[in-house]
Amino acid sequence: MSHDYKAVQWTPFKKRFDLWLLAGIALYLIIFIIIGGLAQPPGESIHPVQTIIRATGTLAFLLLTFVLCIGPLARLSHRLKPFLYNRRHIGVVTFLIALVHSGLVIMWYHGFSDVNPLVSIFVSNPRYDSLSGFPFEVLGFVALLIMFLMAATSHDFWNANLGPGVWKTLHMGVYVAYTALVSHVALGAIQFNKSPVYVGLLAASAVTVAGLHLLTGMASRRTGAPANADGWLEVAPVSAMIDARAKIVRPSKGEAIAVFRDGQKISAVSNVCRHQGGPLGEGKIVDGCITCPWHGFQYRMEDGQSPAPYSEKIATYATRIVDGVVFVSAEPNPPGTPQRPSQIGGNA
Amino acid sequence: MKRAHRTAHLALWLVLTPVMFLILVLAVLNQPEAPNNETLPAVLIEESN
Repeated sequence: MSHDYKAVQWTPFKKRFDLWLLAGIALYLIIFIIIGGLAQPPGESIHPVQTIIRATGTLAFLLLTFVLCIGPLARLSHRLKPFLYNRRHIGVVTFLIALVHSGLVIMWYHGFSDVNPLVSIFVSNPRYDSLSGFPFEVLGFVALLIMFLMAATSHDFWNANLGPGVWKTLHMGVYVAYTALVSHVALGAIQFNKSPVYVGLLAASAVTVAGLHLLTGMASRRTGAPANADGWLEVAPVSAMIDARAKIVRPSKGEAIAVFRDGQKISAVSNVCRHQGGPLGEGKIVDGCITCPWHGFQYRMEDGQSPAPYSEKIATYATRIVDGVVFVSAEPNPPGTPQRPSQIGGNA
Repeated sequence: MKRAHRTAHLALWLVLTPVMFLILVLAVLNQPEAPNNETLPAVLIEESN
């Protein structure tokens, strides 16, 4: 939170997660290299460096595909939330693997000419007007540059100094990086390996990522019924409100509202976390505080303020219960304004 | 995400998705018959022959 930021927030959970991640990466590389060696066609000699280039390239692509699926999938299942908490770590590791892939490619394919290897990427193949002969490495380089920008600014220092709005806009660049990466593979590896398995895997990855983002993008723009004449929005029957969780209401104007149930109390706050705009309504109540599913920022239910020593504030909303149905006011209170929760079974 | 970011997110994917699939389809349709070595200098090709 705003009080302090550390170099990396290594909680025991994150340490365990990172160990599993590194073990998985090592396992993938070992299996790829062994199978790559065994499956080598007779008479064809692939140097171990080339095998490592392929292993790191495929791994970086698969990891980025996975990273981009985490957000939308975590909205479908709470079981995927641990991946959401560690998304930044997976993203930085993905960049490092892509960097190894690029470094080896530059050394292996461009390191022996008189031209500067970095210049060679852009000029060694001038067929920019061809599809099958397109210098696909340029697209990979573009993706790497964007991923570098993402990894370098993934730290909370940049989020705090750039502001959540600019930071979030900047990090949407990863979608452009993914498009460049799909194009890099389509115009590169797919031109040399005609196996339908490769084409199928690439297409399936692209369909999954684009489909999930389009679906969640359209779903999050869906607004609920307009507020009634008194300015109240219907949320849900009390019986449908799960303890420690929220229902998200999207008014036709303004930001979405997260309406939480904590035992017998109903409270409502802005759905937008002050840290990086995370969806608070997809989080839960931990230790009496609304906890953001993205990075664990917390707010008190009764006034939308982060517990001391932190100072973030979000808007609160009035709520009421009429005939067993929860309603929320469409008008936000100023951030940090105390708002008495509605009592289930009590007076509205 | 704020409403503005949600809109930007959706707009970005509405643009990137057709671009991505157009490139993918064209790349598959234009796969060369044999590995393409046209960019190699002619001297190298002769030498290897």
